[in-house]
Amino acid sequence: MTTALANVSAFVLLLTITAYSVAGGVDYGVGIWDLLAGGGPKAVRARQLIDHAMAPVWEANNVWLVLAIVVCWTGFPLLFQSVFASLYPLFAVALLALILRGAFFAFRHVQTGPQAQRRTGVVFGISSVLAPFFFAAALGAIASGRVALGEPNISVWQACVNPTSISFGLVSLSATAFIGACFLIGDARRFGMPDMVEYFRRRALIATVVLIVIGTIAIIVLGLENRPLFDAMLTRLGTPFAAAAVILTPVVGFLLWRGIFRWYRLLSVAVVGSLVFAWGFGQAPYLLPGQLTIAQSAAPLGSEVLLSIVTLAVVVLVLPSLALLVYLDQRGALESPEA
Amino acid sequence: MHVAAQFGAESALLPSRIQMAFTLAYHVILVPLGVALPAYTLLMEGIGIFKKDPAAIRIARRWSVVMAVQFAIGAVTGTILSFEFGILWPKLMGRFGAALGMGFAIEGLAFFLEAIFIGIYLYGWTRLRPRTHFLLGLALPPAGVLGTVSVLATNSFMNTPGGVTLGPSGQVVSVDVLGALFTRALSYEFWHFLIAIYITTGFIVASIYAVAWLRGRRDHYQRLAFAIPFTVAALLTPVELVVGDLSARALVSDQPAKFAAIEVTWKTRSHNPEVVGGLLDSSGQVNFGISIPSFDSILIGLSPDTVAPGLTSVPATARPTIAEANIAHLAFDAMVGLGSAGVALTVWYFVVVLYRRRLPQSRWFYRAASLAGVGSYVAVEAGWVTTEVGRQPWIVYNLMRVSDAVTSAPAAFVWTMLSVLVAVYAVIAVIALTLLRTLSARWQREDAIQGPTAPEQGAPYGPPSRIASAAVPGQTRPGDSGPIHIIATTIVLGAFGLVVAVVLAIVFSFIGLGAVALRTIRGTRSSSS
Repeated sequence: MTTALANVSAFVLLLTITAYSVAGGVDYGVGIWDLLAGGGPKAVRARQLIDHAMAPVWEANNVWLVLAIVVCWTGFPLLFQSVFASLYPLFAVALLALILRGAFFAFRHVQTGPQAQRRTGVVFGISSVLAPFFFAAALGAIASGRVALGEPNISVWQACVNPTSISFGLVSLSATAFIGACFLIGDARRFGMPDMVEYFRRRALIATVVLIVIGTIAIIVLGLENRPLFDAMLTRLGTPFAAAAVILTPVVGFLLWRGIFRWYRLLSVAVVGSLVFAWGFGQAPYLLPGQLTIAQSAAPLGSEVLLSIVTLAVVVLVLPSLALLVYLDQRGALESPEA
Repeated sequence: MHVAAQFGAESALLPSRIQMAFTLAYHVILVPLGVALPAYTLLMEGIGIFKKDPAAIRIARRWSVVMAVQFAIGAVTGTILSFEFGILWPKLMGRFGAALGMGFAIEGLAFFLEAIFIGIYLYGWTRLRPRTHFLLGLALPPAGVLGTVSVLATNSFMNTPGGVTLGPSGQVVSVDVLGALFTRALSYEFWHFLIAIYITTGFIVASIYAVAWLRGRRDHYQRLAFAIPFTVAALLTPVELVVGDLSARALVSDQPAKFAAIEVTWKTRSHNPEVVGGLLDSSGQVNFGISIPSFDSILIGLSPDTVAPGLTSVPATARPTIAEANIAHLAFDAMVGLGSAGVALTVWYFVVVLYRRRLPQSRWFYRAASLAGVGSYVAVEAGWVTTEVGRQPWIVYNLMRVSDAVTSAPAAFVWTMLSVLVAVYAVIAVIALTLLRTLSARWQREDAIQGPTAPEQGAPYGPPSRIASAAVPGQTRPGDSGPIHIIATTIVLGAFGLVVAVVLAIVFSFIGLGAVALRTIRGTRSSSS
């Protein structure tokens, strides 16, 4: 019973991480494009679009992160302790980036004039790069098997900085830029800004190529560095998701190249989701590869039951209200950013 | 490198405690408005809809923007706090996460609901029919209450742990969900804090319009925006005094060392004096304080013979240090002092309103009212300092010490993170204040356009001239028949909110009682006993 519920909790944990990777990924990706926009009239328009597209969602995404944290410490206390004891530097940087980002996005709304907006935008952009990199690097460090049970048994820096963690970070960064650009195309179309559709189509295409290149490098690094996870991704539960990511990324690239604006957003979500699932299912049933399984780390029955109830409540209460919010957001689709 | 190595040997306990205290103290500033402002906003919107008062709608709309700014910052600082449990206190969560974490899991749900419904509420102003908008908004206060009760469930577990069975090495081996969520302290911590944040929000909002009154803005808009939050807060203030008193008295049996610390009682004794102010020294002597003979004993048990627990009844290693006891004591006195000042202000308000049938018109009243908001904030912070410092040296009372929960990260790391956080939080404060000031300025410009004269423009908080705003056409309306009416409406709509809150509370209390009963029947060995 406890094991079954623990498996459910582990899946919920993976889902919240995936949801954050997608929703937060879009957000961070948008920030990356803001940073890369540079100057000039095109950049001003791009930032207008970015501002308008981000305003409704930016504060809500932390929710997924908080949910992942609470599921982790309630469902798998020992995992939580071990991960933070070994990887606190990564989380500290990601966290600082996260606050700076939120703060400077708000700050930009207070400031007027493209010059001032750009200055605050630089902090916003840089922190949009740091956060997804360091969060994903933490997942990579876990996957590399360097997180010890309880207290760290190697230097914290070795646990944090290694080929696997860096390649996870880079994949995350390119996937984030990729999904961000895809969603900006959608927003540009929604707000009737054809020049911006073209602007972000080209950037999304570049991001797709970068993602494929970095993804390939990451797979090679993984094969050299961490054979068990590499094998699991190719031969076990992770296989379908790894395959999905490998197939779907070029498909999105093709759609963007031909300017076919259908399915590309959903598929970009599927790409990011598959990447996270490939990692999660790849290392299952281990939470800490080689050291701690889901069953070993599971909290007592009561806590797992409560987590299931909370999960059910999220599904029953939150999803319909989220749908309503999205509906209200779309209903105002006619207003243009210049208004 | 050499310096880092030197620091590396040092425990991160001190910087971790400072960082946690700093980030929590900051977050606590945002909590009242985050939880209670939606209720006040809905009250105002309700008045606007049912009395067809466009000014009330305008106020509600503006408050909802403040609510969103507030919530966004709270969401960020709250996320930081949840990560700090891992970065600073990994061993706490490793050992007690299964029990402590449950409250936070429910809070995660509540936080999610609030985030979404604030979005719906803001979007809905222009995209939903007024009544639908209002009804959807009604989801916000219960979500806030749910968040409050769940966070306090966690804090109560730290103060009066229960509902868990511990294994030989102290790890949690089984969890009784209801027993661990509804521990003894929750009943008083919940009411004490919930009422505190409703009072604080009422006073902080009202204080802004008290300042506006002092600067000469005295129209229907200002009266409405002042009187409604002030009335709610004023009605709750005396209640808080009673609930606070019950909370303090519960400590005598639940956490005697904390009670002894806040009363700076050295030896357990009857006829214990109540000491106001003063500092305890290492010999157990209290210096400089004002001592009221036997009053502490009377407060505990209504008789001077009642025995009050002393610090020395607990071994020195298991009770707050002298410095901690003094901090808890002075914080407690500050809270009680400010609470009493609040009651005095409340009495002044109701005497004027009930006998003169109008809002107070004394400048001194509005000066006091404009300080009430900041005063409530200080009281909330002081109360939180009392309960947290008073629990020392325990992170989970009698089960785990703060020093055993702290990270093994080098002190230098935590000091660095702390300094960066202080800088970033300062930036956030500047941004938030700039944003609020910009909004305020814009709203005043908008209001000024409707007014008859141009000089009002640019003046903070409305027209500086008293005559100009006294009889602005279109700003007095048939429905506006003075403060009594406003107060009556407040009470009617407030009663509705109260019913919702009471229903929730009854549900929670029954669950809590059920848990206790179950525990007794099953005879589960609770770790707290």
